[in-house]
Amino acid sequence: MNMQVNPQELALDPQPLLSVAGVSRFYGERIGCADVAFDLWPGEVLGIVGESGSGKSTLLRCLAGIDKPDRGEVLFRGGAEPLDIYSVAEQERRRLMRTAWGIVHQNPRDGLRMDVSAGGNVGERLMDNGARHYGKIRETALDWLQRVEIAAGRIDDRPRQFSGGMQQRLQIARVLVSEPKLVFMDEPTGGLDVSVQARLLDLLRVLVRDLGLAAIIVTHDLAVARLLTDRLMVMKDGRVVEQGLTDQVLDDPHHAYTQLLTSAVLTV
Amino acid sequence: MTTMIQVENVAKAFTLHNQGGVRLPVFDNVNFSVAAGEALVLAGASGAGKSSLLRILYGNYRPTSGRIAVTHAGRPIDIVTAVPRTVLDIRRRTLGFVSQFLRVIPRVSALDIVRDPLLARGASAEEASARAKAMLARLNLPQRLWDLAPATFSGGEQQRVNIARSFVDPSPIMLIDEPTASLDAGNRNVVVQLIAEAREQGSAIVGIFHDEAVREAVATRYLDITDFRKAA
Repeated sequence: MNMQVNPQELALDPQPLLSVAGVSRFYGERIGCADVAFDLWPGEVLGIVGESGSGKSTLLRCLAGIDKPDRGEVLFRGGAEPLDIYSVAEQERRRLMRTAWGIVHQNPRDGLRMDVSAGGNVGERLMDNGARHYGKIRETALDWLQRVEIAAGRIDDRPRQFSGGMQQRLQIARVLVSEPKLVFMDEPTGGLDVSVQARLLDLLRVLVRDLGLAAIIVTHDLAVARLLTDRLMVMKDGRVVEQGLTDQVLDDPHHAYTQLLTSAVLTV
Repeated sequence: MTTMIQVENVAKAFTLHNQGGVRLPVFDNVNFSVAAGEALVLAGASGAGKSSLLRILYGNYRPTSGRIAVTHAGRPIDIVTAVPRTVLDIRRRTLGFVSQFLRVIPRVSALDIVRDPLLARGASAEEASARAKAMLARLNLPQRLWDLAPATFSGGEQQRVNIARSFVDPSPIMLIDEPTASLDAGNRNVVVQLIAEAREQGSAIVGIFHDEAVREAVATRYLDITDFRKAA
């Protein structure tokens, strides 16, 4: 009896949102990442874990259109036609990154305009996408500040007057306000206190679920991966050594390196 | 009756790469099936692999070989080889796992934890809340706790939140691992009733129960895992 099922028969989405094939990036002799391939489906959250230097951030930059891989392709199906993001013109890629994608940087200063008000930071993304009505832009910005738990009274303050956790929440509002189909996050909770992390994680978890976002999250924190992701890829020396459902990989790791990672934490 | 789970030639061994590559065989050549309306209780001494088998049925542990047909949306699907999003869909709609441990998420209230599976299956917020409250009340969780996050609850209280979440809308297949471990007699009886009701409504149950009285109240059939123990 054939038990292989085409997920389409279960009324799941018929096509992946992102198809990655053979992505490799070299720095001279050194491997940044090599032969990475996967499909990401709408609403799926993929975690990339591994220790520093494993190639996970290099891979994220290749996937997010920031750093061109030496080999391989990244196919995005967000619009009418599938788009190979590295074969289109720079301008087209930038438009895509501004409208259909969002990138949450580890350091909020890399994702925010520090000399522009909180409301301006959020509103700017809307204007990039064609919004022109000042009242509506401000109203939407205000709504998003509240969704990320920033008090309405802070709308005219600049990010440099915010704490680290608030800056990170503001960056998330700035990214999500334009309703991207796909979000990339690089260590979104790195550098924050544990209590601040917990709040941010819960916020991300709820937003990802409510918006049905597809996301790729790079983290070295397996507890973060457990909470936020559906699937995991484990990287070592630039290569994916193990992948699968997040709970499979964390609870029944098969590769020696994954076993080492999961046994090195106290509780996941 | 409809077969809900069909296990064929399943074997499991753990290989510990960082401890000299030692290989720990758990069981071999496991074959059985469970139909809708049955409650199969796994028996065997501690360490025989009952929990491992239950986790394999859930798609959490990966068997070394064999296949497991789970009846999902009217057709058998091998959960061992299914892609992640299919496994997640099977868990959302067909396959529930009940353990004694609640995975506490910061800031999420007990009521929201219990409502969640109903919302995921498309119930209205109003209906989900009403059913969740009724289930928490049935498990005797004091109403003052409903809107609090369970991080500060006692072990028994957390356990009851977890059981409420699992039985608020019983799945067609329920995998149950020691659900009554730290409950008092009154709440233990409620859990036994909940399992019986789920079964009478057609759920297929596979469970591990340490307490003999609970085991006998729940089981319609037993399977001794020791029989599949690899000759060491």
